[in-house]
Amino acid sequence: MEWVRFGISAAFLLFGILMFLAASIGVNRFRRALNRMHAAALGDTLGILFVILGLIIWKGISFDSLKLLLVVLFFWLASPVAGHMISRLEVTTDEDLGEIEVEHHEDI
Amino acid sequence: MRLRDDYEESRWHRLEKWVDGDIDPLEGRMEIKPPDGEKDENTKLPEDGEPFFDEEKINSVVYDTAHNKELKLFRIIYRLASVLLCVTLIGVLLWTVVYLPEFGSPDNPINNEVSARYIEKGVEETGATNFVTGMILDYRAFDTFGESCVLFIAATCVLVLMRLDNSSSKEKMKKKKEEENDRLYEPKNDLILQKVSCVLVPLIFIFGIYIILNGHLSPGGGFSGGAVIGSGLILYLNAFGFKKTERFFTEKTFRRITLAALTFYCLAKSYSFFTGANHMESGIPLGTPGAILSSGLILPLNICVGLVVACTMYAFYTLFRKGGM
Repeated sequence: MEWVRFGISAAFLLFGILMFLAASIGVNRFRRALNRMHAAALGDTLGILFVILGLIIWKGISFDSLKLLLVVLFFWLASPVAGHMISRLEVTTDEDLGEIEVEHHEDI
Repeated sequence: MRLRDDYEESRWHRLEKWVDGDIDPLEGRMEIKPPDGEKDENTKLPEDGEPFFDEEKINSVVYDTAHNKELKLFRIIYRLASVLLCVTLIGVLLWTVVYLPEFGSPDNPINNEVSARYIEKGVEETGATNFVTGMILDYRAFDTFGESCVLFIAATCVLVLMRLDNSSSKEKMKKKKEEENDRLYEPKNDLILQKVSCVLVPLIFIFGIYIILNGHLSPGGGFSGGAVIGSGLILYLNAFGFKKTERFFTEKTFRRITLAALTFYCLAKSYSFFTGANHMESGIPLGTPGAILSSGLILPLNICVGLVVACTMYAFYTLFRKGGM
């Protein structure tokens, strides 16, 4: 039983680390800012979820795992919004975005 | 004081002039009169804001930067010397590391009677279960006071450097503001950000307040909690703009809060040090260690430090962003 739990948590952790690896490769290899941000968002959301799930399974459910879940919640709230803001700035300032169609509208 | 008659020729006077930058090293060695052909271009008055002459061009003509042997030599020596200096510095520092005492050994000079006293009697004397806080806000409170003052002074210096000049006329002020405004393309009034910060900002504030109030019980304290609150303020500012934040936080509030907090800190700690040094009863109850209202002055001092740090963080951000609060 102990080994099964360890195996599951290790699988979760490995998958999360893989996500982070993919994210960091993407951030460094993609050409456009929007593509890079897409890659970075992958690590910040999916990667962190799997790493923290792995940690929770490893240590068992306790008060600390609630805190870890709050960390995930905070990241899920903060990181996509930050990405959204940066992409808005990128869309308004980049002159050659290519074929992306952007709907400009006045301030809400 | 009577000067020498040949003061103008004396070495001291020439040195003084050289230090002040009055002596032109090219005097008498350069042709002052402009060539006839370019006379019209050179005598043209400079337009507003345009540089009178092209500095690079002048430098390349006067110093002959492309073919100047001295300059080349100087550059090579400069690079060599900088590398040499860095290597020497690294070498000296590494050499010192060899002579440091072994890490974690009980005979180390840091394990003296002072730290033993902190560990043995810290909780009893300060009433704080987190005796790192007990140390920095009780035994070494004046050190922490200095740190808070450094923050305040840093904020004042940034204010002096970054603030837009108010004294000039309104037209100029407007122009200046437009020049300084590099946030034209910044996304404003983003609905997603506003909704998310509606959720996050109160939570961040509560978390910061928790860290400050629990400074004497658990890891944390004024500095970290103040930084958390300051970042919450910055998030609120980014989501809703300056108009909303200026309803409750202007330069006046910044001045009042920081001054009040620093003054209270100074007075309270001076009182407790004065009474402690003279073996008098200070009248500040220590309470039971572990309770939220305990450990005497540490809790209010933590709040003061937290206020100063939060205000300074926010002030830095606004000053760097729009040159005012």
